[in-house]
Amino acid sequence: MDERLYDLIFICRPTTPEEEIDKLIATLQQVTTERSGRVEKTEKWGTRKLAYRVAKNREGYFVYLLLHSTQSEMVKELERRLKVSDAVIKYQSIRIDEDLKRQQKLAKHRERRASRRPRKPATAPASAPPAAEQPAAAS
Amino acid sequence: MSEQSSGQSAAPSVPPAGSGGQGGHSPQGGRERSREGGPGGGGPRRGKRQYFRKKKVCRFCVDRVDFIDYKKVEMLLPFVQERGKILPRRITGTCSRHQRWLGEAIKRARNIALLPFATEL
Repeated sequence: MDERLYDLIFICRPTTPEEEIDKLIATLQQVTTERSGRVEKTEKWGTRKLAYRVAKNREGYFVYLLLHSTQSEMVKELERRLKVSDAVIKYQSIRIDEDLKRQQKLAKHRERRASRRPRKPATAPASAPPAAEQPAAAS
Repeated sequence: MSEQSSGQSAAPSVPPAGSGGQGGHSPQGGRERSREGGPGGGGPRRGKRQYFRKKKVCRFCVDRVDFIDYKKVEMLLPFVQERGKILPRRITGTCSRHQRWLGEAIKRARNIALLPFATEL
């Protein structure tokens, strides 16, 4: 059973009451735990302007989840729930563990190269973006 | 139309000015140079170039970026025209690998309405 990381973003109508969004997040959380996954991170970005009109809305309430899954149908089920729910106007789930793995590999490679040539110690530490490194550490 | 041209001028627009100034003379000059120079043809071009073009460096390579996050819209914005087009490598100077990652990130951001496909007028 391989483990995967997913980014899941969904956008609700700006008119949705806050409790409803919280309820939705709770149900999603329940679905993930039922399918032996877990929610690593939950972020409510709040109401933001959309880059284009979605379902006649120019604004939307963004919610971001970082998921850890071991079962492949988990994401399918989550997407089905989002599709069914009336408040959600758009959602996107992206598998990111492969990108993060590549990132770690490159960072390691650079570190090794830097240690081989200790001429320039100032440039040696890999200065990857801190925010991008956080999910890598969590996995 | 006018918006699109202003979007191009916002980016470092060195190449169009250089090629436009040379006009029809450049192909002739190139032929002469290759005849006399021979093996040195691939090196930095000397001669009738009016000014020295500053070499562009990939910004992601300078910062040692291994992963371009589509969620950070501010990071992607300088590589997108006002109308939402992805800026080509020849203008931004991004290396091929990072341009590939950048394109992917921009397309992901577009999909979830963080970046526009095309802004309406």
